[in-house]
Amino acid sequence: MLELAIGIILGCCALGAGCAMIAGIGPGIGEGNAVAAACEAIGRQPESKGDVTSTMLMGCAVAETTGLYALVIAILLIFVAPNILVDILLKAVGK
Amino acid sequence: MRDWFRKIDPTVKKESLYIATVTGILSLLLQAGFLIARHWDCTVLLGNLLGGITAAGNFFLMGMTVQKAVQKEKKPAADLMKFSQTVRLLLQLAVAVLGFALPCFNGYATILPLFFPRIAIMIRPFLDKNKQ
Repeated sequence: MLELAIGIILGCCALGAGCAMIAGIGPGIGEGNAVAAACEAIGRQPESKGDVTSTMLMGCAVAETTGLYALVIAILLIFVAPNILVDILLKAVGK
Repeated sequence: MRDWFRKIDPTVKKESLYIATVTGILSLLLQAGFLIARHWDCTVLLGNLLGGITAAGNFFLMGMTVQKAVQKEKKPAADLMKFSQTVRLLLQLAVAVLGFALPCFNGYATILPLFFPRIAIMIRPFLDKNKQ
């Protein structure tokens, strides 16, 4: 029974990590759209290339942080949460 | 090598240098934080180095991709950026896994520097205001 409970904890942590990584799709789409719009802007005003690139770089870096948050949650769910949850379970059953 | 360096857009160079500098400064602060908390050991330094280099390198790679993408048409540029973002995210995932899995790296010291470029961008307006 205890093994089953531990298995469920590990499985749920892995499932949660997988779900968290879905957020990694968003920044890619967002950055793609931003760069496409920047291409258009530079095409219209080539002299503003430096400013557009600089602003876009910062924007892309900010957008990318969203994916990073998901990544950190996933990593914590895989490497940190199982130990803590299993410890709590073992304490609860008195082992 | 020199030709390759010359081909890099000055904006990309400038912004990457700024991000690398702030990441370096924040890494020092992180080391100081670990020292004050009395949790400092060699793994913290190694993890911080791994995370910091990855964070700065990730920004530089993004800059290079943006430089390439702005020379393309709208659709190929968007596709290139999506591909690059996926590859870079996987790279960061690999680094984070290494940081937690290998005993020679401190996991938290590896992960925290990945957020330093975001902090660098956050403090940018204040630095620009001071310059003006």
